[in-house]
Amino acid sequence: MLQIKDIHASIGGSEILRGLSLDVAAGEVHAIMGPNGSGKSTLAQVVAGHSDYEVTAGSVTYKDIDLLELEPEERAREGIFLGFQYPVEIPGVNNAVLLRSALNAKRKHQGLEEIDAFEFLKLAKEKMAMLGMDPKFLNRGVNEGFSGGEKKRNEILQMAMLEPSLAILDETDSGLDIDALRAVAEGVNTLRSPDRAIVLVTHYQRLLDYVEPDQVHVLSEGRIVRSGDKSLALELEDKGYDWVREAANG
Amino acid sequence: MKSATLEFDALAAAVGALPETALSASRQSALEQLRRRGMPGVREEDWKYTDVSTLVDITNTWLASGARVAAAAAAEPAAGIDADWFTIVNGQFDEAQLQTLPEGVTVERLSSNVSALPSLGRLGELNTALLHDGLKISVDKGVVLERPIGLLLFDQADDGASVSQVRVDIELAPSSSAAFIEHQVSGGDSDLYANVAIRLALGDNASADYVRIQDRGPQHSQTGYHGIELGCDARLRQASFDLGGKLVRDDLVVNIAHPGAEAEFGGLYLVGDGQHVDNHTRVDHRVGPAVSRQEYRGILAGKARGVWNGKAIVHEGADGTDAEQSNHNLLLSQSAEINAKPELEIYADDVKCSHGTTVGQLDENALYYLRTRGLDIDEARQALTRAFAHAIVGRSPIEQLEEFLLGEIDRRLRDLLREDVA
Repeated sequence: MLQIKDIHASIGGSEILRGLSLDVAAGEVHAIMGPNGSGKSTLAQVVAGHSDYEVTAGSVTYKDIDLLELEPEERAREGIFLGFQYPVEIPGVNNAVLLRSALNAKRKHQGLEEIDAFEFLKLAKEKMAMLGMDPKFLNRGVNEGFSGGEKKRNEILQMAMLEPSLAILDETDSGLDIDALRAVAEGVNTLRSPDRAIVLVTHYQRLLDYVEPDQVHVLSEGRIVRSGDKSLALELEDKGYDWVREAANG
Repeated sequence: MKSATLEFDALAAAVGALPETALSASRQSALEQLRRRGMPGVREEDWKYTDVSTLVDITNTWLASGARVAAAAAAEPAAGIDADWFTIVNGQFDEAQLQTLPEGVTVERLSSNVSALPSLGRLGELNTALLHDGLKISVDKGVVLERPIGLLLFDQADDGASVSQVRVDIELAPSSSAAFIEHQVSGGDSDLYANVAIRLALGDNASADYVRIQDRGPQHSQTGYHGIELGCDARLRQASFDLGGKLVRDDLVVNIAHPGAEAEFGGLYLVGDGQHVDNHTRVDHRVGPAVSRQEYRGILAGKARGVWNGKAIVHEGADGTDAEQSNHNLLLSQSAEINAKPELEIYADDVKCSHGTTVGQLDENALYYLRTRGLDIDEARQALTRAFAHAIVGRSPIEQLEEFLLGEIDRRLRDLLREDVA
């Protein structure tokens, strides 16, 4: 599904990713862990297509497409979804309108008819019920005045509506209370299927109690320094990130 | 810069040729004022950014060609807007439409009601001097109008330069309530200068909603002056939408001389290449407690020029004044320009005043966020630009105009966004 080969990426002239490689197959859930500043968010943004990040070497291939050639919206229409660490507040752009535009942009790309208003509303309400969201959030501005937890649920709602092939969730779990964390996990687990891949970028092990990863990678100084199964996350929680840094340098 | 000068002999001849009415004396004294003071020039602080030379040129050309007023062409009120419409075509109106009126409303010719016309702004003298006739609208005490009163100000400029003067005097008696829609449109390819002067006086406890929609052709210029007087506990809610026009200047001047008055006003100006739109406001808080709130927003593309100048003066003793003003501008291109200037002058002690002005581009983070959801760059830009504009529609007082305004704004925004990309 996603092959990242030896990429180097920098922002504002300073290199953040230094030769990172990662393979994510369809049906798998990968967790990317690592200390602050290790490059986790950069990795997520590079896959989504943020223009501030310059990829200076390496390749990113998704479903045999050279992803680095595509604009962010083309990547989205091809089935990539990024859940933002800090979802942007957009006053005046209606949440429902954005959801429907996003869904229709993707459907149009797939050669499908636009979803009608009735079907859309039914689907949105169904997904919101699953995430424990009040339907009134549909009529608010995108993330406008939402609490931290509400923003993250809104990201998961978008993901649930768009049903991406590859979802990257950038610290969607940080700062959530237990109910919100469960709702996010529920959203992720519902999406899990043999033809989809999910990458969870996280600082903490906590989310992995609810979403069991197939592989766990530890990022340090722009490279994956260790990979393993879910036990790696527990070990990390136990020993702390210094242990990884020492292991990487030693 | 050399300011153009009015051809006074030609002007005096044109004024002299107007039909003799009760307004004749006012016309002559306005002419004298005009001879003495001339037209506003860029050396005057209030006219620094708006040069009316082109308007003087149009006026001179029109005077030289005999100061003709084109025969009234047909004009249709904006589709779907339910209002009692008065149509003023090239500054002229048909007597017959003064007959059908809602109960409690009187409409007369200014010439049959008023002998001396009050001065309305720096271009009010030109307006008075060349005025054929104006409308006087009175709403009786305690009358609450269900339907808005519409003023369709239409100009047709076909054969050579055209100049028109529109004057409307509105009085709301105490405890009455009414809504007004001023819709300015124009047709034809010739140069046009329309000069509009409106006085709106609210009696004690009266309330008025007023929406001004200016959607003139790209060759057509207008200046407007809205002089507003508020009685005790009177309430004004106003919104202004500049969608078209070439050189556009509007002055909104609110006089608060009685306690308890509230004025909420603001507007949206969408300005593209070749356009110059200037909104000037002035509120005089002479007594307190009273409230004034204004919010203007502008979207400028191409080589657009915009001006917003909001002045609030809290006079000595006007304690309990609450004045708030804000102006936000979105520049869609590098070559668009806005001169935004809030001015607060406070001579009282117990007041609450604030102002805020911003000039910026579309939020890059928001654009990126929308793109990661599959919207292409144009759709994302349009969504953010619309959101910025719609905030003003949301505070417009006449609800039934909402759909019409949103449609017109979206149409104009599509032009601006295209212009910017081209």
